Parts: sequence; C-alpha cells; structure tokens
Amino acid sequence: MKLLHEPLSGRSQAVLGVVGVVGVAAVWEAVIRTGLLDVAGLPLPTGVLGGVADLLPDGTFWDAVLFTLGEWMLGLAIATGVGVLVGGLMGAFRSVFVAFEWPVEAFRVLPSVAVGPILVLLIGQGMLPLALTVALSCVWPILLNTMYGVRSTDTTAVMTAKTFGNSDLAVLRTVKIPSALPFAFTGVRIAASIGLLVAVSAELLIGNGTGIGGYILENTANATNLDIVYAATLVAGVLGVAVNLVMAKLDDVVFGWKKGLAQ
Amino acid sequence: MTEARVTENPAPRAATSAELLLDGVSRSYGDNLAVRSISAEVPASKISVIVGPSGCGKSTLLRIISGLDEPTAGRVEFEGTPVNGVPEGLAMVFQDYSRSLFPWMRVDKNVAFPIKHLPAKERAERVRFAIEEVGLSGKEKLYPWQMSGGMQQRVAIARALASHPKLLLMDEPYASVDAQTRADLEDLLMRIQAELGITVLVVTHDIDESVYLADRIIVLSAPPSVVAEVIEVDLPRPRDHIATKTDPRFVEIRGHVTRLLRSKEQVAPV
Repeated sequence: MKLLHEPLSGRSQAVLGVVGVVGVAAVWEAVIRTGLLDVAGLPLPTGVLGGVADLLPDGTFWDAVLFTLGEWMLGLAIATGVGVLVGGLMGAFRSVFVAFEWPVEAFRVLPSVAVGPILVLLIGQGMLPLALTVALSCVWPILLNTMYGVRSTDTTAVMTAKTFGNSDLAVLRTVKIPSALPFAFTGVRIAASIGLLVAVSAELLIGNGTGIGGYILENTANATNLDIVYAATLVAGVLGVAVNLVMAKLDDVVFGWKKGLAQ
Repeated sequence: MTEARVTENPAPRAATSAELLLDGVSRSYGDNLAVRSISAEVPASKISVIVGPSGCGKSTLLRIISGLDEPTAGRVEFEGTPVNGVPEGLAMVFQDYSRSLFPWMRVDKNVAFPIKHLPAKERAERVRFAIEEVGLSGKEKLYPWQMSGGMQQRVAIARALASHPKLLLMDEPYASVDAQTRADLEDLLMRIQAELGITVLVVTHDIDESVYLADRIIVLSAPPSVVAEVIEVDLPRPRDHIATKTDPRFVEIRGHVTRLLRSKEQVAPV
C-alpha cells in the first residue's frame, strides 16, 4: 500500500486521519448551518452523532446489526466455498474451464439484488434468501481471483516440483494451490466489502424489516427521526471499514510471504 | 589444439560408464528445429558442461534430459534405461532461483520439499546436512526472499542435495548472480561434487565457467544445434580461481572453445 514516497510514521498517519475526518465533518456542518446549502432532510454531522448516541442503547438496532452480520457471513462463507472450489478447478483443468467459462460469464452480469425477489418466491422469507443474494454477488471476485491465481503459478516453480518427481495432481496440491491462496484471499477481501453493501441493499428490498436495512426502512417510513436513519447508515459504513481492516491485517499475517513476490 | 579429443557422432553405445546417454536427440517446434541429432555421453561421477551460443537449445536439451519434454527423434538413457518422464534420482537447479524456490516456505521447508515422504527424523537429518553443505546453517527459518541472490541459489542447491540425486542438472545456475558470488558457487559445486561423487551436468553460455568446472565439455553449435566437439578437460583438481585460470592449459582450452563457438556462429546458415 506504500507508494513511491517514504511511509509516514504511525503517529502522524493517525493524526492526519483524524484531522481529515473531523475537518470534512466540520466543513459539512458549517455549509449547512450557514445556509449555504438549504435542502430539507440533509443531516448535520452533530445530529448524526446524536443519532448514534440514541442508537447505542437501542436493543432492536443491535439485533438488526447482528442479523445483518450473520447474513453477510453466511453469504460470504457460501461464496468462498463455491468460488474457491469452482475457480480452483477452472484454473487447474482446461476442461473444467471450457465447461464453466460461459455460464460464469452469463451469471456474473446478473444483478444479484434483482434475483432476491425470485429467491424469496422459491424459498420464502428469512435469512437464507438474503444470504444467497449476498453469496451471488460475492462469488465472482473470489472465483475469478482463485482461477487466475492457480493459472498464474510460476512455471519455474511447477517445473521444479515436477523434476522432483511430483505428479500433476501433487503439483496442484503442493505448488499451485498454496501459490493461489493469496489471490483467493484478495478475492474474499473484495467480496467482503461488496457483500456488506449487498446485504443491506437486499434487506431494503426483500428483508421484510430485518437487519440494518429493515431498521433504516422502518425509520424512514415514519420520517420521525431522520438522524437515526443516517446514524444507522453510518454504523453500517463503520462496520464495512472495520471488516476491511480486519481482512487487511489477516492478509498481512497469513500471506506475509507475498512480499517476496514484489521483488 | 591437438590434445583436445574429438568424439565423432554418433556416440558408441558399447559398455561405457556413461550415466547419461544422448543418442541422436532432436527437438523441433513446428517447423523450427531447436536441436538437431545430438549424441553425447555424460560420464558418471564427473562434471560435464554443455556450452553453446545463446539460443542453441541448451535449455531444451535439459528439459528433454529431465523428462519434462520429449525429443521428436532420438532417445535419452539414464543408467541404461530410456528416459520416459522424470527419472528417479534426478535433481535440477534452475537459473531463476527466486522463481524456483517456493516463496511461502522458509529455507528448511524448501530444502525438505523433495523428501516430504521420508520419516521426520531422516528428513530433518538430510535437511541439516544439505544446509550445512552449502554453508547456510542458522538461516533455516528465513524466507528465500529475505536472502541475497547467491544465498537463494545455495538454498536451491541444498534442496537438490537433500533429494540425494545421482544426477544433478543445472541450467545456467550462476547466470543471475554477481561475479564474486559466482566464483564462490563454482567452488562450492566442485567441492560438493568431489565429496558426494554426484554426476553433474551444467548448461552454460560462459566459456570460462565451462572450462573451470568441467571434466568434459560438450560444445554445441549454433541452432539447429549439433555437437561441435567434445573436449576432455585434464586440468588437475582441486581447482582454484587463480592457479587454474592462469594455467596455460586452461588458457589453451578456453581459446579453443571460444574459436569453436565463434566459427560456428559465423558459418551457421542463415
């Protein structure tokens, strides 16, 4: 992630980050308070913060958050299982690739949220159709990354393994799969962010009042306290950032050896 | 250059101590003939070096010998049996160590790669020995990419040694390291070969290196390659970068190989 210049120290990074966030919020607050922008329903950052404060003790909100997290994780798990398996096979075997290439291309462009209502028709309401909608959007980056990961295994590494008497299958197991894992994980990382977006969107559409999406929907319908709506949205966003951070850290720890490839 | 012995093709198949026998090996890719009827013998427990101009199909030849590729004509025998797939007892060291070593494995795991099937105790013993042989004791827990190029190539050599090879193939093994490291690794190879009595076949485009290392030099012509000449190098061992390389005999053989490669390049049909 470090670009051309020398990296900043951890402390100055933290300071700059806080300055950035607080600065943007302050400018925003000023723009609305001074009447520069005068549209009904626009949130004041301080109001949203107040909304967050109101949310924190609200049990139903936390139930909604937990529901969304569960739905998201279930969807991501399904997508990871299917994506890694199918992508891995497509990368490893030409025949599998040829068989699956066009189905993948066709399904990939389907807007998963639009499939949601069909899923509800087929399997009824609940977490499962929501999770499947999430999985349907998450599976593609995982599948494609795994496939390219397997396929881009270094030819010298493969030849090395073969000269030590490994069969094609053993080469797949001992060389191609390990070298493809970081690619697969990058796919999971991308999918995780997409998944959270889709989870909340799907809840808005077919959630029947469940999850963060359902919570937002109900409060918008009442239009009593828009700050709560914005606050819930903010919490969903913070959740997304947290997920990304955890995944990045995991990537660093488990796939630290990738640094060797950059040389 | 009367001393340099010339072996006529094809190589006689009679009882020789040849570990490896190439008999009329050709390889073409479509209409493009990479190597043309190569016959040569690689004697057991010696260092043989294939030297030739760039693009003369040296790497193609190594791939065929290692069973990764098949000749379009001719055959390869290893210990008297035709090569059909990767033969047992063969280890290969590639020029590109950074791609040949597995970046997700630490040094000890990389070295243990060819002997995963062995019992843990024997495996550990072999890994320890191989790492010690190449002078990397204490570096077991580093990742390859944390090491210099020369050290990485040592890891690759240790990995080959751990497999207890009868035949060690090396494809331009030192072409990617600096001159000093290269000299060190050449001496390392000769010491290990003398100690363990392995049959070694090195492919290189470096004439100095070929004469310095070899008991036998197989000189290839420009493509489509044939064996231009086989030269027995009778320089005394152990060899030394200063004494050997100033030996008049060394200078003589080097001059001869240089002329061979030059003339072939010029005479080669366009």
